[in-house]
Amino acid sequence: MVTIDADYFRDLETPRIARLGPNLVAAAFPLMKLMPARYILDRAASDGELKAGSHIVETTSGTFGMAVALLAAARDYRLTLVTASTLIDARYKARLERIGATVIALDDPRGDGNQPGRLERLQKILAKEPDGFWTRQYDSPGNWLAYARLAELFIRTTGRIDCLVGCVGTGGSLCGTASFLRTVFPHLTVFAVDTHRSILFGQPVGKRMLRGLGNSVLPKNVRHELVDEIHWVGAYPAYMSAHRLLREHGIFMGPTSGAAALVAQWVATTLPDAQVAVIMPDEGHRHAETVYNDEWLAALPGWPCKELSEPRTLTTIAPAAETQWTRFLWLRRSLDDVLKTQAASEVPPAIGAAENL
Amino acid sequence: MAGNKMASSGDFVSREAPRSSVGKATAIAHHGELIQGVFKDAGGRLHRGLVTLPIAALKSEAHFARSNGDAVVVQPDHKVKASAAARLTLDFLNVTGGGELTLHSAIPVGHGYGSSTADVVASIRAVAATLNVELRPASIGRLAVAAERASDAIAFDDHAVLFAQREGRVIENFAGSLPPLLLVGFKANGGAPVDTIQLPPARYDSAEIEEFGVLRALVAQAVRLQDPYLLGRAASASAVISQRHLPKQGFDEVGEIARRAGACGVQVAHSGSLFGLIFDLFTPNLKRRAALVAQQIRRAGFKDVEVHLVNAEGWTW
Repeated sequence: MVTIDADYFRDLETPRIARLGPNLVAAAFPLMKLMPARYILDRAASDGELKAGSHIVETTSGTFGMAVALLAAARDYRLTLVTASTLIDARYKARLERIGATVIALDDPRGDGNQPGRLERLQKILAKEPDGFWTRQYDSPGNWLAYARLAELFIRTTGRIDCLVGCVGTGGSLCGTASFLRTVFPHLTVFAVDTHRSILFGQPVGKRMLRGLGNSVLPKNVRHELVDEIHWVGAYPAYMSAHRLLREHGIFMGPTSGAAALVAQWVATTLPDAQVAVIMPDEGHRHAETVYNDEWLAALPGWPCKELSEPRTLTTIAPAAETQWTRFLWLRRSLDDVLKTQAASEVPPAIGAAENL
Repeated sequence: MAGNKMASSGDFVSREAPRSSVGKATAIAHHGELIQGVFKDAGGRLHRGLVTLPIAALKSEAHFARSNGDAVVVQPDHKVKASAAARLTLDFLNVTGGGELTLHSAIPVGHGYGSSTADVVASIRAVAATLNVELRPASIGRLAVAAERASDAIAFDDHAVLFAQREGRVIENFAGSLPPLLLVGFKANGGAPVDTIQLPPARYDSAEIEEFGVLRALVAQAVRLQDPYLLGRAASASAVISQRHLPKQGFDEVGEIARRAGACGVQVAHSGSLFGLIFDLFTPNLKRRAALVAQQIRRAGFKDVEVHLVNAEGWTW
């Protein structure tokens, strides 16, 4: 009899490593969130916190929800995802429901994602379910501990790593990978990639066009002290970079991966002696009708815009247009430290905010 | 080869003990561990494991003379683990009788040089040699663990493996040797020995457990690329974790000396008193730099500063 020891999901969560340049490697994930989702469920199951047939809950409409849905289906857990009507499209909701998840899409009159309402609903479900389990991707240490595997993979394929580039949404992937890599490479320079009007690195909250990174609330798993440089990439340069990944490397990724690749290619060119690694979190399929659809793109105001080869360096944190790419030297400071320094200096008018697309 | 009956470990027929059959074998020492912690197997289960840093110049030598009497008699007589190992090996090879086991060892006891395992492994090999059998490292490793409860990986000599020291099995075979190194070794805590039997097994937290996977990846890549720098990074990080469980005096000072000297990393015996500064054997001006470092270490109050070569293949200054 042939026995298969390997866990299918362990394979599915494992990224393919692509060389994008002489000193640049990318971890291209089919569905990155499987890594923390599997880790959190495995840990909870072995701690006895998650019992057979338990009811899992989470407030997400993103790829973490998809990852938990796949795992819940394979492992016979019930799953309820609480999201907001503004954050999920009918097609994605149908996909999650087909896997067996219950998706609750709350009204969102303010258009900010209604996180307080989502948390309230989630607590109500947990109160009714003694065997309920909340995966807590924003705060669970499992969400960063899971990425030791990615650090291992980078080392086993590349050896020494000097620079790490990755998007920040919950902070799990970038801060997790960075903290493990830095235990062995203390000189590691960490480049965080965010988008304009995400509050994670001190910008005022606002409508974000690029989804899948950034946040309007601050998860505990974002550890600012690990970050050397923060880059804010607008939707347009992210889309263009995703197109370029496909055209020049045959790699079909989503726009957040495009944003990460844009920054990583700039880092690799600027620091030719450094070994650079970049995290690309998901594939392009979900964006086939938008980012990879010429009609959809043509309807965007001002599309196509000028391709950017380098970011504009800010001395004062401020939002910019969706066509823009900005950077700020964070220098491993806490958010409070940076905001205090910012408040103390004269604040110039927000750059490009008026032409916010 | 008709009529020439070969003896092999697959031969389960009890052998007649030929009289005055004598076996001789050696086993090398080590300088503690490059990394030590807990590691996941393919199914995600955790195993305590280590990667040994071999020192081929220090050896234990065992002589075994088989006899028809049941007893295994050992010299010096306090080496009871070696005697137990000889007995287990006779049983493993399906041989009746006993013998006289004599050990000569140049390996200091109680600092993490693996003196006990070297005695045990040399004894197992010497017993096997009396039957013209050469045991596989995996079998020797299992027998050694059975004899002394926790062993190290020196049954594998200079072959780099991640070894489960309490189970006697290989968690990962790195399929090669460590890169050539120069090691400046010395003793912490005023040179006082550590009683390894009295040490409780370390309890690691979640972040440490995940970090061990990263260190294991570094050792794998260091062996594959023959890169002393990567090996040094792994050793230093494992030493930092070890410092939280079995603290050594002067740890930060040693780290500072290593950094200034351009060492690849700092290595410790995770259940002993040894420190080692790891250098790439092919560093320019290595002799001068090693002498300078040795001087700084002596001045900082550490004892017994020695220079060891690892996989140096006859290399001279």
